[in-house]
Amino acid sequence: MPDDLRLWSEELARDPSSLVFLPLAETLRRQGQLDLARKVATRGLERHPHNPDAHDQLARIHADRGELQSAFDEWDMVLRLVPGHLGAIKGMAFVRFQQGRLDEAEQLLMQAQDGGGSDEDISAAIAAVRRSSGVTSAEVVAAALPSDPHLLFADLLATDQTAIMLDKDGLVLAGAYYVGNVDVAQDVGASLSGVSDEALRATRHLGIGAWCSILFETEAATVSLAPAPGHGAAAGGLIVLAAAPATPLGQLRRLLDRCLARASAWLESSAL
Amino acid sequence: MSTPFTPVLDSLTRQRGVRASLVVSADDGITVDSNLQIGQDGARVAALAASLYRKARKSAQAAGLGSTGFMQMEAESGRLCVIGGDEIVLVVVAERTANVGLIRVEMLRAAEALA
Repeated sequence: MPDDLRLWSEELARDPSSLVFLPLAETLRRQGQLDLARKVATRGLERHPHNPDAHDQLARIHADRGELQSAFDEWDMVLRLVPGHLGAIKGMAFVRFQQGRLDEAEQLLMQAQDGGGSDEDISAAIAAVRRSSGVTSAEVVAAALPSDPHLLFADLLATDQTAIMLDKDGLVLAGAYYVGNVDVAQDVGASLSGVSDEALRATRHLGIGAWCSILFETEAATVSLAPAPGHGAAAGGLIVLAAAPATPLGQLRRLLDRCLARASAWLESSAL
Repeated sequence: MSTPFTPVLDSLTRQRGVRASLVVSADDGITVDSNLQIGQDGARVAALAASLYRKARKSAQAAGLGSTGFMQMEAESGRLCVIGGDEIVLVVVAERTANVGLIRVEMLRAAEALA
């Protein structure tokens, strides 16, 4: 991925009108480098003002920055360029929900459902909004979660990052761990079976309190482990996150926290 | 009694916040040499650290990630750092406030010296 970033940056420097600003900005966004991502996306838009993907990209960056109205405006522009654009409608609904404008959020979700056919996530989101008077944040989060457990962490991760959640026996609860096109999550899970217990024993023996994370460096990746949320099927299990070796450790920690929060929401939603 | 590992362990233990350093057999977790503060049970630390490191290596192999280098476990009030090769691993127990960057560099250097 660092190689990709470098190649894309070089290509953009050679040819400022290149569309590589799209994957470049997306990768920066996923890495949490939001200022840089916005700069790249804005410059790209200056060259491609009628490109819906570029407006969608900038909207996501605004949303991540908490600039909800700017995100809404960009998705609105996407809709003008591509009427019925499902991603834009869902994005606008998300903004309206966040702003507490629940009627508008529901209308937009209905519009998305009409345009996109049978999207389970949309149906669940509509149900959550309709329960808005007594809605809990857990229900709203649950409605926004991917229905396929393999995809639980997908939107949090860049293409060179992968994450899985294991139960205490090393069995995969969610996520995927691809090597090439092969999902080796079960193999990784089996080899990490018992790590949580051993970490617990080690920290008890050393008297250094509960363990928070284990990080190890390999030739191809830096792997970070954390105790899975301590309830439901994941109790005693692990969250495993692997990223390119060049990933700053601070970024890795932040990403691990986000995966933990996602896992926790998913486990709570399973219990609803 | 001095062993070939004594200078390496002394150098590691001189780092601020380091409470113990050990050279451990990678296969069976038996202590080869150690520099411990009073009250530490070196044998158990060695066995647990080597076992954790073996699991990290096995998972890296399962994922096709190549060889494993530095590993650290972070806990509420301390850290366990491990680095190793096929035969021996180097283990450091440190306080949470210790500078893990410096410890890592020193352990990489020590691992090279022991290789």
